[in-house]
Amino acid sequence: MFYRLSGVHHTRYETARRIWPVPADRRMVYLVLALAVAAPLYMSDLYLTSYMLPWLIWSAAALSLTLLMGIAGQLHFGFAAVMAIGAYTSIHLTRAGVPLELALIGAGLVAAGIGCIFGAAALRVKGLYLVMATLAMQYLVDWTIINVPAISGGAQATLSTPSVTFLFVPLRGDTALYYGALLWAVIVTMLVLNIKRTSFGRALVAIRDKDFAAAVIGVNPFKYKLLAFFTSSFLGGVSGAVLAFCYYQAVTPEQFGFNVSIQLVAMVLVGGLGSVIGAYLGAGFVLLMPIVLTNVVAYMAIAGWLSVSSNLLAHIPLMVYGGLIVGFILFEPLGLAKIYDNVRKYFLVWPFRHTQS
Amino acid sequence: MQPEEEPMPDGQPVARHPDWKTADNLVNLLRHNAENHGDGIAMRERERGIWQEYTWRDYLDRVLCFAAGLEELGVGAEDNILVLGDNRPTLYFGMLGAIVLRAVPSPAYPDTTPEEITGQMQREDIRFALAEDQEQVDKLLAIREDGHETLERIIYDDPRGLTGKEPPGVVAFTDLVERGRQRLDEQPDLSQDLLSRATIHDIAVLLHSSGTTGAPKGVPLKHGHILSGVRNAAAAGYFREGEIHMAYLPMAWVGDFIFSVGAALVLRFSVNIPERQETALHDLREIAPTLYFSSPRAWSNMLTRIQVGIDEATGLKRWLYHRFMPFAVELERRRLEGRQPGTGERFWRALGEILVYGPIKDQLGLARVQRPYTAGEAIGEDVFLFFRALGLNLRQFYGQTENCALAAAQDPDSIKLHTVGKPFPGVEIRISEDGEILMRADNVFDGYYRKPEATAETLRDGWLHTGDAGYMEDDGQIVVLGRVSEVVYTASGERFIPTYVENRLKFSQYIKDVCILGQDRDFLAALVAIDISAVGHWAEENGVPYTSFADLSQKTPVYELIRGVMDHVNAVLPEGLRIRRFVNLHKEFDPDDGEVTRTRKLRRNVIDANYRPIIDAIYEGRDSVDYEAQITYETGESGVLRRHLAVADVAPSGEK
Repeated sequence: MFYRLSGVHHTRYETARRIWPVPADRRMVYLVLALAVAAPLYMSDLYLTSYMLPWLIWSAAALSLTLLMGIAGQLHFGFAAVMAIGAYTSIHLTRAGVPLELALIGAGLVAAGIGCIFGAAALRVKGLYLVMATLAMQYLVDWTIINVPAISGGAQATLSTPSVTFLFVPLRGDTALYYGALLWAVIVTMLVLNIKRTSFGRALVAIRDKDFAAAVIGVNPFKYKLLAFFTSSFLGGVSGAVLAFCYYQAVTPEQFGFNVSIQLVAMVLVGGLGSVIGAYLGAGFVLLMPIVLTNVVAYMAIAGWLSVSSNLLAHIPLMVYGGLIVGFILFEPLGLAKIYDNVRKYFLVWPFRHTQS
Repeated sequence: MQPEEEPMPDGQPVARHPDWKTADNLVNLLRHNAENHGDGIAMRERERGIWQEYTWRDYLDRVLCFAAGLEELGVGAEDNILVLGDNRPTLYFGMLGAIVLRAVPSPAYPDTTPEEITGQMQREDIRFALAEDQEQVDKLLAIREDGHETLERIIYDDPRGLTGKEPPGVVAFTDLVERGRQRLDEQPDLSQDLLSRATIHDIAVLLHSSGTTGAPKGVPLKHGHILSGVRNAAAAGYFREGEIHMAYLPMAWVGDFIFSVGAALVLRFSVNIPERQETALHDLREIAPTLYFSSPRAWSNMLTRIQVGIDEATGLKRWLYHRFMPFAVELERRRLEGRQPGTGERFWRALGEILVYGPIKDQLGLARVQRPYTAGEAIGEDVFLFFRALGLNLRQFYGQTENCALAAAQDPDSIKLHTVGKPFPGVEIRISEDGEILMRADNVFDGYYRKPEATAETLRDGWLHTGDAGYMEDDGQIVVLGRVSEVVYTASGERFIPTYVENRLKFSQYIKDVCILGQDRDFLAALVAIDISAVGHWAEENGVPYTSFADLSQKTPVYELIRGVMDHVNAVLPEGLRIRRFVNLHKEFDPDDGEVTRTRKLRRNVIDANYRPIIDAIYEGRDSVDYEAQITYETGESGVLRRHLAVADVAPSGEK
């Protein structure tokens, strides 16, 4: 119905391989981007800073993780630690007077370096054993941050971010912070979309599907597994730094605990492994659904439709949330992205069931 | 327009068409387009998934280089050049290149058998051939080995399987173009010389009448015929300038030369060529032409495809379709009767355009079609109304190879189902005393190729005797009934035209082909070839198991299904012309068996001979027949297949 494809023809392979070859998809992307750019105009500060901003940054983080878990197929249960490394590195660098632009790159590089060391385990082990290795990373990094005062500033300390400028714009005020997060989300999105259609992305997919089969067809698993960890950790580190500067503006070790890692994995799984739109949907679901549910339950309690003890009231959203995750995974194991894809295909072949030519 | 005098002896063409101007010809039009619209896209061809574009400048360049190369091979004026293959830009360039040299391209259908090609080559003294690919080259080589040694050169387009190991006398199109380019570089005056050779009185193309009876006759069309045909049609608003056109119909068919070369040069069409015949539907959607021609059969196949697609679709989609489509068909039916829709209906129609009609047109690649046409035979009312209801201004036109296929067309404002419309401006049509349609116009040809008797029979006093039986309505619209030669009588003296009944039966999606019997018999009977995709789908839906075409055709429920179609048609036929018995054949009519022509017209004498035992069984009143089918394999070998076929009775209507 919305997808009109007649008259779309290509005279060069470059245009046939572009990121959104369907005009309707392109129009939708422009619309979403325009809505995102104009968000400060029509959204209240509360929604902008408490919902939109964290959603964008966590989406960027989920995209970094989906590159590793979804595209390259390497499980990682310590991604919050990678982000923590990025966050702490950037703060220490800016405090030492390094401009934020360089500090972000530094954050990425340090996170990528440390991430690669643990990722090297992936060269030997797979599946659950890799999960164990990355979990070890989570705990080692947590422990190091907490117990080395030079990093954390002390066991209970909170490091606040210094006031900085980014590309000559002071990162102060809700709008500036929001645009900073949006910029990063757009960069990561375009990067992952492009990785998926390059030889690098295809090599990663080959590794994911079967690493020794990939080796047989000439894809070096050693190189590409490390590259996957490097790229993903780099993006994750910068995402951590952006999270620290644009959202938290002060970091403590608890912000990057094991539960955060699990949340990130949940975002990627609920959204759909390896999918870009899935990262956004997954992050949105994991971050915003508890808030929405809490509000709904509170509203129902106030309206008198729910007469239960306040103790239980606090737990109902969590129960529903858990139920929803189980439900979604049962309904569509391939995640929210697959649901979106099904809907899209339903309209793509409208009014038929499959393409007619 | 000047009335034509008695045919002049050759060599005095000017006397015959005094108002034709020599320089007004296809070659000059090509030059004009290249000079004034050099960067406009003249042709697109899909190759390995993407569209290769040729501008008018490329077009002229290739045509000139090829002409220069061809001349070096010894091709001169009035040499006939066989063109054999599917639509390819190279073959169009080659045809124009020949025309530049005043040689005559003589296209043949790509699936023509070697015997038929040999016949064509002998009748037309063909020494040069332009073939699409290795398959066609091999066919021509075999013909040459079988004794047609006068075939000097075979020029091929697709290098696959040929480059570097060409048999003697075989040369690549690209090599010839290179040689021609060298000649053009060496002789600066050559290109001007080449461009000024052709005149409007030259024969532009040698086409062939489809030959339902006997060997095909060559129909030479001159530049002037084609140009006046196209201009008459354009004057009637039938073509516009700069149309996007899809060239997917066989190059040997008159319409393709008129649309893809004639009209394309006059009105600067961009001609789009699909990657292969099998991908034509897909490529159609990528191009979304503005002008689309298709045979009634193809339109009807498209409708079947839509209906099958909707049957498979899920609930909401199917519900919307059945909510909106009958509404639009009904609205269109009333519009044709002259009643305008009300405001509410207009709104509903607009909603349907968004939900159903627009998406369907988009899926089929017809979203941009402004001028969809059909011709060749009658189109079913259901099919015609359906596509008009979708918002496509589908119209029928009428013409033969002898008049460039452009004689009459339905006016957008006064469309009647049973007529083919009014003559184009510049075309005179009258009905002879015995009910034959006669025609006089500048786009009527000047006589068959080397067949003076046939010419004298067809062109009398400047009037083309079309051989079609018909009449003219009071408002000048023409009704075509069928071929005059096809009028036959039953034993009881009832007069009927089998095609007329057959077409009405074929409007059913379940019947692909049907042959009506009854000449000098007591009653009418039918040989039916079911449509395997529609009946197969019906069988799946209704739980009728089957293995093959032959098996499916003999199932009792399928006989019931076809009997229903017969009853439906019988209801509108006069008592003496109702179909009493029929047989479902075990196979389709096949051009390779000679039962139908390449354009799928029945060859009744062949069918009579091939199915004699079945026909006898029908009229002897037997209930079934054992039939030994002669089959010819593609290798040329033949075998025998035994089939047991049932003969079914159709109850006279009213006794159901």
